[in-house]
Amino acid sequence: MSDGAVPTVRAISLTYRLVMRQLVTRGRLIALAVVGVVVVVVSAAVGASDADGDPLERGVRVISDLGFTALVPIVALVFAAASLGDMREDSTLVYLWLRPMDRWPVVVGAWAAAVTVSLPLSLVPLIVSAVVVDAGGALVGATVLAAVVGTIVYSALFVLAGLLVKNAIVWGLAYVLLWEGLVAGFGSFAARLAIRGYTRSIITSRTGIDLDLGDLSLATGIAVPLVVAVAAIGLASVRLRAMDVA
Amino acid sequence: MVEVTGVTKSFGDVVAVSDVSFRVDAGVTALLGPNGAGKSTLFRVMCGLTAPTRGSVRVLGHDARRDREVRGRIGLAPQQDSLFDRVSARQFVEFAAQTLGVVDHAEAARAALGQVALPVDDPKPVGSFSKGMRQRVKLAAALVHDPDVLILDEPLTGLDPVQRNRMITFFHELGDAGKCVLVSSHVLDEVARLGSQVLVIAQGRLGASGDYRALRALMDDRPHRVRVAADRARELAAALLARGLIDGVSVTAEELVVHTNDVDRFGRSIAPTARELGVRLREVEPLDDDLESVFRYLVERR
Repeated sequence: MSDGAVPTVRAISLTYRLVMRQLVTRGRLIALAVVGVVVVVVSAAVGASDADGDPLERGVRVISDLGFTALVPIVALVFAAASLGDMREDSTLVYLWLRPMDRWPVVVGAWAAAVTVSLPLSLVPLIVSAVVVDAGGALVGATVLAAVVGTIVYSALFVLAGLLVKNAIVWGLAYVLLWEGLVAGFGSFAARLAIRGYTRSIITSRTGIDLDLGDLSLATGIAVPLVVAVAAIGLASVRLRAMDVA
Repeated sequence: MVEVTGVTKSFGDVVAVSDVSFRVDAGVTALLGPNGAGKSTLFRVMCGLTAPTRGSVRVLGHDARRDREVRGRIGLAPQQDSLFDRVSARQFVEFAAQTLGVVDHAEAARAALGQVALPVDDPKPVGSFSKGMRQRVKLAAALVHDPDVLILDEPLTGLDPVQRNRMITFFHELGDAGKCVLVSSHVLDEVARLGSQVLVIAQGRLGASGDYRALRALMDDRPHRVRVAADRARELAAALLARGLIDGVSVTAEELVVHTNDVDRFGRSIAPTARELGVRLREVEPLDDDLESVFRYLVERR
């Protein structure tokens, strides 16, 4: 016999374990590891091609352009959009939905699983890249902080996307390439509407290297993405409660 | 236990369920209807998985879409085949038990798998299971928390005859134990064995409800249409009408379509009548013996 509602922490942990099991597939891991290797190889090539320049500036630019415009958002997209989005599309969401559980712990569990899987796949190649370009400890520290913040907020946004639209990967890629990659480069106002502006600001603040569109304070660079992440998780919870489940 | 009042569910311009009302209590109730009749949509509305466009549903006095606790008293085996394919049957059912708030989830999963005759310690992922085995995994997950209301959408699909018998007996045991068991099917013979209470749904509307035997009699007594291909069709039609074997007929050169309320008597008489007249019969074909026609009749007569 059911013993009533499932406590919040229990609901988060059950969802987390289930989503982890569903997300971690060999295909996804290999594909994203390959992307990470490409980032490392390009960083090494950049480092070797400009041996006389400032290694810190060189490292900041390559990690910012490749890591935070492509690697971090794409890795988060692949896992976060699939976390609940795959269940929605293959109709297994019913096994989480028709349960005596609140909705927000389900979203938090899925988001936490996406962050858990995404973070090492983004962080390791970026740290290796920072080391390869010989940029020193400041860049490694900045990269870790920006990658953590970026993964947290991108994962929250893409969990929401997975519940909102079919083919969230396609929409997410369009967002990453067009909005984050293109529109955000048009000026500082546009950059404030893209996560990239905040991760670049974290790197600028921590390394002292000026980056275009990275002119916000460290506190703003961290706080705004976290607020956006909380809002996205809240919206995803509302969406999960109100949506039709197949 | 379950009360459906004036429920309509539309998807854009498509009306999947139209103004359906009924109440079911403890025992086994079969929801009978052809594919696409709205059975699954109705079940989804009852479970709160989708909100009705109009009307209301109460399960144990609550709205499953809004009231968290009542969701723990419903067991649903959905029609779709999808499961978490990378886990074993035990893991799947145990996960269901955990998310349904069952304290001794391991033992509950073991018991539920036993009830559907699946091995507890089979390590194979459910993704490698046959349709029948997947169906039983879904049933075990629906049963694992000993729910008061069981909603089973085509649960016998994919099961072999032995498993079907076993499941039907099991559903009756649950009904006798005071559970409300709602089982959908599009197979008339299955419904005959499922329970005396039947709801018939077709084209989104409730066509009939009540005791299965009364419903069966209604189905058998409905007007039938039969196509008869024969030479001298007009002469044969006149003879059939004159002898009161048919209630109406439309005739072309070599074919007649007869309407009769007593299809058995017509079936016994058509060959002797033709022989007596010297008419050669080429084909006799019932035009509406399929279930769709039966359902349509039941809906249209209301």
